[in-house]
Parts: sequence; structure tokens; C-alpha cells
Amino acid sequence: MWGSVLTVFLLETLSVGCSYSAAGGPQSSKLQKVLGRGKLIVGTGSTNVPWHFKNEKGELVGFDIEMGRILAQALFGDPNKVEFVEQSPDARIPNLLVDKVDVTFQFMTISPMRLQQVAFSIPYYTEGIGLLLPAGGKYKNYNELAAAQRRGEKVTIAILQNVDAADIVQRILKGAKDDQYENQGLVYQAINSRRADAGAVDLSSIMWLASKEPEKYLNSGFSVNPQNYGAAMRSDDQVWINFVNGVLLDAMTGATYPLYNAAYAKWFGEQLPAPVIGKPSMYR
Amino acid sequence: MTYFFNFEVIRNNIGLMLGGLGLGLCIAVVSLFFGIILGLFAAFAAVSSNPALGRLSSGYTALFRNTPLLVLIFIAYFGLPDVGIIMEKTTSFIFTLSLYAGAYMADVFRAGLQAIPRGVIEAGQAIGLTRFQIRWSIQMPIMFRNVLPSMSNFLISLFKDTSLAASITVHELTYFARKLSVETFRVFEAWLTAAVLYVVTCYLVAYLLRKLERKLSFG
Repeated sequence: MWGSVLTVFLLETLSVGCSYSAAGGPQSSKLQKVLGRGKLIVGTGSTNVPWHFKNEKGELVGFDIEMGRILAQALFGDPNKVEFVEQSPDARIPNLLVDKVDVTFQFMTISPMRLQQVAFSIPYYTEGIGLLLPAGGKYKNYNELAAAQRRGEKVTIAILQNVDAADIVQRILKGAKDDQYENQGLVYQAINSRRADAGAVDLSSIMWLASKEPEKYLNSGFSVNPQNYGAAMRSDDQVWINFVNGVLLDAMTGATYPLYNAAYAKWFGEQLPAPVIGKPSMYR
Repeated sequence: MTYFFNFEVIRNNIGLMLGGLGLGLCIAVVSLFFGIILGLFAAFAAVSSNPALGRLSSGYTALFRNTPLLVLIFIAYFGLPDVGIIMEKTTSFIFTLSLYAGAYMADVFRAGLQAIPRGVIEAGQAIGLTRFQIRWSIQMPIMFRNVLPSMSNFLISLFKDTSLAASITVHELTYFARKLSVETFRVFEAWLTAAVLYVVTCYLVAYLLRKLERKLSFG
């Protein structure tokens, strides 16, 4: 019996020792693992325009998908060396912690509660709540809406029923009436049928809709409630975190800015300016 | 897993919920009133000797009985404005619910009318009553007494259907229960309270209507 136990023990020690030497250290970074694997694995969703959704051909597209491809480009010089793992919002953190994915790009708001479990990259987008107006409607922008409210006209804003919905509408336009709908689709219906003068929705969705369907929707030009989206990673791998941060920073403000700007223009309909030469733009 | 109930949020918002309950009850009663009127016209059209009227009546009842109420609500609220018909949301809901109630009442009244013995109508004709007088003084009182239990049941069903008004943001009970659950995360407490209020109200309405039925059957 003791001979068997000793044999098993020796075999276990041998296998650990081999993997130790092959790894080249106590715990090699995910960066090396990903490079060795030859492809990046990104966790993302598939149901949110314009972040991550399926087009008519069933291909996964969107701004989060572009961010994954920018990272793959930085790793392998090929934006297609990436596998996207579709996951529900509540799987974003668990999938990282069990190494099912290397990084998550899934319009994830950086928050203190989440920072206790995972690390976030620098923000690659700042979301807000904006006002969507019907094209050809009574009001062409936020100022006209506010002026109408001041004149005493009844202004109705449709919003998804959620925590602080009524407060958000008052922050947008004090005195406006809020119509709280149970799902986002009904909010858009309310705008389309002129049941509401405007809809309070995510600014990114507004930019997408206004650029893709300008005959139906207008961006009022107003936004509130800023929140940062970052790429989520395991918090115990500083080398990987530094790499992802470096890639995103360069894509937003450095030599690879055309990649980020092209993605931004495609999914949000806005042409960003080139980074200013001289003092780095984020310090201006 | 242990769940800790907290009905404090319900206590703080019970006024809103009761107000919503009252609005739902009013909507049900008003819709039933208009539904009865529509149902009567449709029922008499169904039993009339004019085939065109009969077809119109059966088309109306088929359309509104075979379309889900939620679909009808959305068509009226979101669709009609596209053709220039814009009603305030509560009005839009009552309009829809009345048409829906009328279709159900039409069938109930038609059955009630057809159950009246032919001899009663012939007796009215024999004493020289006009067609309108026969309908108003003979057929309708008998029919209403016969169909009162069905109407009572339908009123309770209609009252429960007012919960669908929440989908177009009418401030009735279900709207406030959902608002409360979303804002306070007290999901169980909010929906349990709403359920209890619906049950108690339906029970009370059924009790009062049974008393009315008994009074009318003795009278």
C-alpha cells in the first residue's frame, strides 16, 4: 500500500515539476498563454445594438466586437484571430474567474462592487442617458423641448421603468411627465406613435438609431448620467492588464487611433478627430 | 437561503396601490357599461332577419373574441395615432376594453334572447305592442334576469383584465406594483400585496353581485 502511495506521490511531483519548467515561472501571464494559443478568447453578448448583436448573416458585430478585434490585431497582427464566447450578463464575471474567457468586452460599467471581483481596463466608452426625438416631430432638439416646458406645454418623456426612472426624467427636464414602460421596445413604440414627445434611452442606442434611421429618429443633443465602460479581466494578472490598457490607450489616442475611430464612426455615426500631436490628449 | 420580508415599503405606498385598485375597478365598470350597450346592438343584429346585420354582428364578435386583449390594446394605443385617432391612454384603454366586452356580451345576450319562449313575443304582438316596445319591455328584462350571473362573472374577469393597462402606463394597481418592485427590489412583497388586493376586491364584487342576483330573482 505504501509503495502505491509513494508511486502516486512521485508521479504527481514529476508532473507538477514538468509543467512548472514549461511555464517558465510560478504563474506565467495570460499574455504568454494567449500568444502561445494563437487566438484571443473574448466574452461578449449578442443582443444589444450597437454593442454586440448578430447581423442579417448571423455574424456577431458591434462596438464591443470591434474592441476585441483591436486587441487581436495587437496580439497577432490579425483582427480575425479571436473567438467570441457569447455569455449572459450575469456570466460576465464568473467566466473570467474560471478562465473561460481571457477578457470581456460587454458594455460593462466600471463599478466599485465589480472592482472587488475583477479588474477593469481604462474606459473605452462613456455611456450616458440621452433623449431620443421623433424625426419630423414637434421638437427638433432639447432646447425646443425645454422651451416648451417653460411655456407651460405638457411634455411627456417615455422611459424604461426602473430604479430612479422618475428622478432621471426630472433631471433631464424638470416638470416633464414620465411614462414608464416595462420594456425598451415599448419606449420606442411610444416615440414612434407620438405618445411621448421624447424617450430617455442609452446615448449609444440614440446615436445608432439616429445614424441608421435618420428619417425616424433624432438625437436631441442632450445627455446625463455618465458611466464608464471598461474591459473586464482577472485582477491577479498585472502583465495582462497592462497589455490590454496599453492597446486601448494607443487605439484611442496613439498610432492605432484609425482602428478605434473607424469603429466609432461605424457604430455611433460620429467621426472623431485625430489625436492632437504634442502633449498627449488625455492630459490636456 | 433566508429571505427577510420588509413590508415597510408597502405601508409607505399603500395609498398609491389602493388608488390604482380604485381606478381599475372604475375602468372595469365603465367598460362593462359601454360593452353592454354595444353587446345589445350586436345581439339584436345577430337575431334579426336582416342577413347583413347578422354578418356584421358575427364579424365584430369574431374579431374581438379571437384577438388577444393585449394586441388590441397596443393597436388602439400605438396604432390608431398613425391614422390620426389619438386618445388619452385611459380613454384608449376603456375604448378597447369596451369593444372587447361588447363582443363577449353580444354572445351572452344573443343566447339570452334566443332562450326567451317565442310565445312571450307573440303575446306582445297580440296586444299590439311595437317591435321596440316588445324588445324594451318584454325581451330585455327577461334577458337581463337570465344573463345576470354571466354578466357578474364577466365583470370580475374584466376587472382582472384591467391589469393589462399597466403596459400602456395607466396608473392602476399592477403598474404601481411593478414600479414598487423595480424601485425597491421588494419584488415578493409588492406582487403579493397586489395579488391580495385583487383577490379581496374580486371576492367583494362577487358577493355584492350575488346579493343583487338573489334580490332580482325574488323580485
